[in-house]
Amino acid sequence: MNKKENINQLIDEAINSVEDVKRAAPMPFLLTRVYARLNKAKENMWEKATGFIGRPAIAIPGLILLIVINVTVVIFNRADPFTTSTEQSAQPSSDEFSDAVATIYDI
Amino acid sequence: MNQSEALINKLKRGDQSGFTAVMDLYQDMVYNTAISIVQNADDADDITQEVFVQVYLSINSFKGESKLSTWLYRITISKALDHEKRKKRKKRFAFVQSLVGGQDNEQLHPVEFNHPGIQLERKERAAELFKALKRLPDKQRVAFTLHKIEGQSYQEIAEIMNTSLYAVESLMGRAKTNLKKLLFNYYEEKF
Repeated sequence: MNKKENINQLIDEAINSVEDVKRAAPMPFLLTRVYARLNKAKENMWEKATGFIGRPAIAIPGLILLIVINVTVVIFNRADPFTTSTEQSAQPSSDEFSDAVATIYDI
Repeated sequence: MNQSEALINKLKRGDQSGFTAVMDLYQDMVYNTAISIVQNADDADDITQEVFVQVYLSINSFKGESKLSTWLYRITISKALDHEKRKKRKKRFAFVQSLVGGQDNEQLHPVEFNHPGIQLERKERAAELFKALKRLPDKQRVAFTLHKIEGQSYQEIAEIMNTSLYAVESLMGRAKTNLKKLLFNYYEEKF
């Protein structure tokens, strides 16, 4: 058998060496390791979320937005008591001239 | 409803027994595919864990248009190839480090891979085949691995790789030709 034939035979043997190969199995307790990794992944998600919120580029505009919302709410709420107080003061005068209001003479 | 659909529904409901059943059914398939691509037992174990974590976290994105096994194959292949790329980058870095003075022999000269499922008398030839497989383009390597090691049909490979049957036949043809060339050069140098 010459060299080339010998090499061709080795090539065929190499390519056919994976015929009927059995499936390799992972190391035991894979499920436990997967659950441990899952818990770690969940923790990492929270860490990522808090890390994202804590970044100055997010935290500072967020804080400013919160202050602006608060100031706006306070300003609008200041206007509201004024209108309610005028309504309240107007109420007795309208009641005064109303026919429906019971007086001591009606009793 | 078949077994696979029942498992998917259980998984989507967050049922732990469903997840355990999926792992029991598919862990060998995932691990065997991963080890055949990355050719390292520890890395394959790591990839297998990553695959099942992703399955657990993203089961709701699985629309059921393909089989669960097809979806698992896709995740495994993608993770294994990503792992390979990361390892190649590390290897390049290790090479630069070795030039500067640091030594990282294991990364520069990886040990010979022996697939645990191969018969003893074929181990030597198989190790040579796996060495040649590493030098094939990704798609050819994946097609060859799925067909020869995982025993998948060309039709199933086409579904997994999201391509046509003709493309798989072509990939397999080129993979065999390239492997023969690589092995020929290897044996010619050896003898």
